[in-house]
Amino acid sequence: MLTIAGLNKTYPNHKRGLEAVNVTFAPGVTAIIGPSGAGKTTLLRSINRLITPESGSVRLGDQEIRTANAKALRKIRHRIGMIFQDYNLIEELAAIDNVLHGCLGGKTWLAGILGHYTAAEQARAYELLAEVGLADFATQRCADLSGGQKQRVGIARALMQSPEVILCDEPIASLDPASTQAVMTLLGDLAKRGIMIIVNLHQVDIARQYADHIVGVNQGRIVFDGPTAGLNDAALAAIYAKEAVAEDA
Amino acid sequence: MPNLYLRQTARRRWLTLIAALGLLVAGQLWLQLNDRQAFMGVWAGLAWLVHNFTPDAAAWHDLPTITYQLWRTIVIAIAATSVAAIVAVGLGLAGAATTGRIRWLRGGVRLFASVMRNFPFVAWALVLLFSFKQNDFTGFLALFLMTIGYLTRAFIETLEEVGGGAIEALEATGARYWPIVIQGVLPAAIGGLLSWVLYMIENNIRDATLVGMLTGTGIGFTFDLYFKSFRYPSAGLVVVTLIITTIAIELLATHLRQVLTH
Repeated sequence: MLTIAGLNKTYPNHKRGLEAVNVTFAPGVTAIIGPSGAGKTTLLRSINRLITPESGSVRLGDQEIRTANAKALRKIRHRIGMIFQDYNLIEELAAIDNVLHGCLGGKTWLAGILGHYTAAEQARAYELLAEVGLADFATQRCADLSGGQKQRVGIARALMQSPEVILCDEPIASLDPASTQAVMTLLGDLAKRGIMIIVNLHQVDIARQYADHIVGVNQGRIVFDGPTAGLNDAALAAIYAKEAVAEDA
Repeated sequence: MPNLYLRQTARRRWLTLIAALGLLVAGQLWLQLNDRQAFMGVWAGLAWLVHNFTPDAAAWHDLPTITYQLWRTIVIAIAATSVAAIVAVGLGLAGAATTGRIRWLRGGVRLFASVMRNFPFVAWALVLLFSFKQNDFTGFLALFLMTIGYLTRAFIETLEEVGGGAIEALEATGARYWPIVIQGVLPAAIGGLLSWVLYMIENNIRDATLVGMLTGTGIGFTFDLYFKSFRYPSAGLVVVTLIITTIAIELLATHLRQVLTH
């Protein structure tokens, strides 16, 4: 379980990112939805501390993340995979190299610098590329791949970490409908294997189609937290309410 | 409204043209420059150059000496650029916003690069001449010090272009700083970095000629020697070999750049 309690984040420009956020993520696919600037990305990035909240608690199992020291944080991050809207791959390198980067967090300093990967790790990277349908593209430069293919390389990189959780920051925002379906189906399959998937989405219909659980965010506050079936018109109105925006403006 | 905008734009254009012409005429009057005389002077100068600097049979006997000195110059330029590039990678990593972790060090590196870049290599050569006397090492040092400034600045910009996204993705895997830099940042930036190194090698071969005149080494000194002893055809041969070499190196660098960045 991933538990967030009393989480607060205010940006240096005094913009409120998160306000007293309490939410528990369970295995399965959880979609975080809300209007632009609502705090979806801040919430997601607070989980692996790419953004550091001022107060509150983020716990993965019995491990506190918000106050973890550098060494502990690296170990926790290695248990949490992440995929990004802009893929964030090293475009000049081959797909297989990018997938192998997923191992870096578990390596010693020297092995990391030398880029020394064991035969088992290399075999696993190939397996994962095959799993995401890119076996034939393993040695191709990422710059030459399509958006959907790049996102699947990103997923393979996250899987290389053997993660307990995968955070997905708007993973389909730059994809066409066919690639969107492929990526979301893949994430659904991973959830069935026991990996907790937390995905930021702008598309409510996609969230309804693929998520087991929905978290609605508005103005840095959780305004809905429940099963997908419970996302009715009233809940959507609360999530996308403009009054909250006007009130704070 | 659009008509008014277009009229104002046209008026500004005419005023700029008239101001430029006014400056040109004022400058000529102040310098007492005679256009016709200057134009004829250029042709007379070119004719003198072609007549005196065309390599003759005696000049070709100097070719082995010239090629040897040219080779030394190229080696000094490549060595100075390569060593400066190694140092500049470290400085670039410390100075780039995406990879530099210490704020004051980032500022310090940028200041250092700026100072080194703006101190001309000719001035470096003259200053170093007093300390290291006339030898190849003085030329090497002058080029090295100036190149560090240029490459550090260029590398900072190249490393910043890599973008924080790829670095953030590797941080999210739990990777440490140096594995991120070596496995992620440098492979992403290597094409751009090598492109700058090749450009500086091209530049430094040209600059090494002038440095050589001051430090008494390489092809620059050879040219100076022939020129001052009135052996103009041999000096002309030096110029011809220099032009051929710099064009060849430019073509090679362009080819290498294409191979490295595609």
